[in-house]
Amino acid sequence: MRKRLGIISFFVVIFIAFIVVWNYSYQQGLEEAYTPVIETPTGNFIPSERGVFLRFENSNLDYSNMPVDENHQRSLDDYYENRAYPGAPPSIPHPVKKERSLGGNTCIQCHQNGGFVEKFNAYAPVTPHPEMVNCRQCHVTKNTNTTFREFTFAKAEPPKIGEGVNNAMPGSPPMIPHQLQMRESCISCHAGPSAPKEIRVSHPERINCRQCHLPQTNKPLQRIDADAFLRQFDKLNEK
Amino acid sequence: MSMYESINGRRTFIKKMAMLSAMTAAASMFPGIVFASEQEKGIEDNGNLDWKKGPCRFCGVGCGILVGTENGKAVAVKGDPNSSVNKGLLCVKGYHQIMCIQSKDRLEHALVKKNGRYVKTPLNEALDIVANKMKSTIDTHGKDSVAMYTSGQSTIPEGYVASKLMKGAIGTNNLDCNARLCMASAVAGFLTTFGADEPMGCYEDIDHADYFVTWGNNMAEMHPVLFSRMLEQKSLRGAKIIDFATRTTRSSTASDRSILFEPQTDLAVANAICYEIIKNGWMNKSFVEKHCNFSKGITNMGYGLEDNYKFTDKPEKIDFEAYKEFLKDYSPEKVSKYSKVSVKDIKYLAAIYGDPNKKVVSFWCMGVNQHTRGTWMNNLIYNMHLLTGKISQPGNGPFSLTGQPSACGTAREVGTFTHKLPKGVVMNEKHRKLAAKIWKVPYERIPSKPTYHATEMFRAVDRGDIKFIWTQATNPLVSLPKTGRYRPAMEKESCFVVVSDVFPTPTSDVADVILPAAWHIEKSGLYGNSERRTQHWNKMVEAPGEATEDAWMFIEVAKRMGYGDLFPYSKENHVEEIYNEYKQFHEGAKHGMAPLEVLKKESGVIWPYVNGKSTQWRFNSKYDPACDNGEAFHFYGKPDGKAVIWQRPFEEAPEKPDNEYPFWLNTGRVVEHWHTGSMTRRIPVLHQAMPNAYVEFHPDDAKKLGIRNGESIKVSSRRGSCVLPASINERGLPTIGQVFVPFFDENMLINDVTIDAFCPISKEPDYKKCAVKVEKV
Repeated sequence: MRKRLGIISFFVVIFIAFIVVWNYSYQQGLEEAYTPVIETPTGNFIPSERGVFLRFENSNLDYSNMPVDENHQRSLDDYYENRAYPGAPPSIPHPVKKERSLGGNTCIQCHQNGGFVEKFNAYAPVTPHPEMVNCRQCHVTKNTNTTFREFTFAKAEPPKIGEGVNNAMPGSPPMIPHQLQMRESCISCHAGPSAPKEIRVSHPERINCRQCHLPQTNKPLQRIDADAFLRQFDKLNEK
Repeated sequence: MSMYESINGRRTFIKKMAMLSAMTAAASMFPGIVFASEQEKGIEDNGNLDWKKGPCRFCGVGCGILVGTENGKAVAVKGDPNSSVNKGLLCVKGYHQIMCIQSKDRLEHALVKKNGRYVKTPLNEALDIVANKMKSTIDTHGKDSVAMYTSGQSTIPEGYVASKLMKGAIGTNNLDCNARLCMASAVAGFLTTFGADEPMGCYEDIDHADYFVTWGNNMAEMHPVLFSRMLEQKSLRGAKIIDFATRTTRSSTASDRSILFEPQTDLAVANAICYEIIKNGWMNKSFVEKHCNFSKGITNMGYGLEDNYKFTDKPEKIDFEAYKEFLKDYSPEKVSKYSKVSVKDIKYLAAIYGDPNKKVVSFWCMGVNQHTRGTWMNNLIYNMHLLTGKISQPGNGPFSLTGQPSACGTAREVGTFTHKLPKGVVMNEKHRKLAAKIWKVPYERIPSKPTYHATEMFRAVDRGDIKFIWTQATNPLVSLPKTGRYRPAMEKESCFVVVSDVFPTPTSDVADVILPAAWHIEKSGLYGNSERRTQHWNKMVEAPGEATEDAWMFIEVAKRMGYGDLFPYSKENHVEEIYNEYKQFHEGAKHGMAPLEVLKKESGVIWPYVNGKSTQWRFNSKYDPACDNGEAFHFYGKPDGKAVIWQRPFEEAPEKPDNEYPFWLNTGRVVEHWHTGSMTRRIPVLHQAMPNAYVEFHPDDAKKLGIRNGESIKVSSRRGSCVLPASINERGLPTIGQVFVPFFDENMLINDVTIDAFCPISKEPDYKKCAVKVEKV
């Protein structure tokens, strides 16, 4: 009898719990759902501006807590090694899985968020433009080391780095010495384990990179004593 | 933080980090900040720099900076890790600010115009000329024929002596400042709703809020350090940023939701949000009953386009039912039709404000303030927070941002406006008596009637009513609206123009005397930022040539005019002496200022400073000792302790696009340049990144007009025109039917095109809306 009562009361408890849970979720369901209306007029985005924040939003990577593996990090020399000139799309330094594919899903598997690849004993570099899926439109594999004819193309010097080169004052934030087109997402190359060690940023958690770092590609930077903007101030010529 | 405090140079910091990394067994495995030894190569040894603290020279955020000096020259800047404003971070302008003072066209000597040419003159002689001219003008044409136009970049002591000289010594209210062009609507909003100026909360609100709603405010470029604090909360706690604007900007791309509206309809959308809050029962009834009144004012006020326009609001109490009835015109369905904001988006915004479990901070700056109904718009944002009781609590509150480093500290608190006194207004006899007592002048000398606000002041110059004007630390002939009228006005023989500045500007071009001013770190001073934080700094480097502190030039002129006994300050110590005198105005729990010793030690202190403690959230009895009604909240700015929920309708802009002028013109700033660019354009890094202004188009409009990027475009209105290169899909994206132009470029004066209509209550002009046409040239 006691046992039976116990069982019955057990089911009663379960049943009440069911009623409560069911009611609660029903009530929750009654709340008006909000689905954002996406009415995007053509081109309602700013290509040169949007990239900066994208990686922080679309990836769940915690860049500020990412370990650095000193034994497997890239150097800037490695970085320029497979580029024909600074700013050129890098060639693919490894065999590819599917020769016929655009790249897309295959490349993106490793190159969207990076990560260690046992086979190559290296971290996969992260692409700054994962939304462009026809990878092999620009990135080609290297299947021979020979050249068809001898050539005289001299690789231009990459932008210099280090204190006093890209920044105007001791300790002030360096300006951006390269083009931004297709490289708007700064942290792809400047943070994480695949970032070349010389250009890895000390503060990837800052997100709004271009609050402090501006593109400077036209002229070499000038130091304090240089003229920036001077008025043609004829009337002041007796100064 | 503690790690930062003990390390004083980036080099030592890097060294320590490098050492630390070598010491760590798994050398590779420590999170966060890692410097490879390669990064240290070639770093100059600047460990011996002398670092001195101060506030940043630029915007109203008021970041703490440390300036590194070497051999008497400023050579480096870094963020002050002790400042709770920016916690060591700055923006690109802040990092490079000191570079401008070494510009080759720096004004180092006084220049006096003789026979159409500027002649280098000893400062003493130039000040004689200024004092004599001011005195003789008063003698012939009366006190109200001389005027002074100062700045939200003037230090607190500078603003104070300007006010004392004009109102106390000379006895005229012809004193106004450029903060009229940026903050007047915020002030009028605070005074009409709360009876007390300046935000109730502080920047710490950012650390607690769940939602940030930015009203017409591109914070990623204009208040970048605060925006970074918001982004930090977004990644740490999942706080959301909602960007409500008329233009897609860097802030929109970083926000969780970007909602665009038709210019001027923010008034209607704000009312629609209130409508939804009440309709859905989201109103905090007990808060509203205990702490709020309802009022309405005069509508169809006009736009101040005609000279000598006058307006005084007549507030009238109403009841809740009347207010509810008024809101019926603002259902989301009705508003959606002309605001171009979808019903869903309006309801979405209302749900954010209405959700009692979510903390909301609203931020706004020029989009709301530079508005022909700017005061109303400020009132309406307060309405949303008052109806829901989301105010004066950590993470909950309306937050009005400022554009200038001491718009709050100097323009608003010292009161360099025509109607203001250091405490209160000239219309109030009690306030005049207090000022007269502290200034030691007969109280009858302070006139009880306000005279000219900024726009009207320059109109008076044009009409010939003002015959002497002295401007300091401001560049009105680039920053006023409709400069096409005011430039010729200032050139007229009828008005003697004195310009004090650090650099030559289009304003100094029309001066009769140019006085060389010391820049920020070349003098001691105090600034007050948007969160009521007063910040003191000591002189860090010597000014070049005869460049002198503005405050001292005022004092010298006052002495020459025979008011020496009212200005008994010493050259070495005048900043301290003036501050200690000024402090008396604000004594008490409602506005007490911190003593100098504290300000010298701390990286800024928030007022009211009571019993050695800052008041971070005013009007909340938990934090604010001035609350004494026994309730949780006390809006003690109003006599009955209640804040006002204002009934403010939607009204059209004074000028709308039509067949002849089919585009809206919006103007503003970019991250690289600050205001008229007289400082930032002289910083090579910034000039090279943004060498000139441009006119932004929506790609669809550009396509329709066949305009390509970089082509020369003439933008013209009924008032003037300006030629600029087109910019399509670059920094920002205006809505279809709108163009945007930044105003920093003195070679492309967009303010020749803008309209000098203003908010009748605050008298602040609207730089964000007028009608223009565009054509290729």
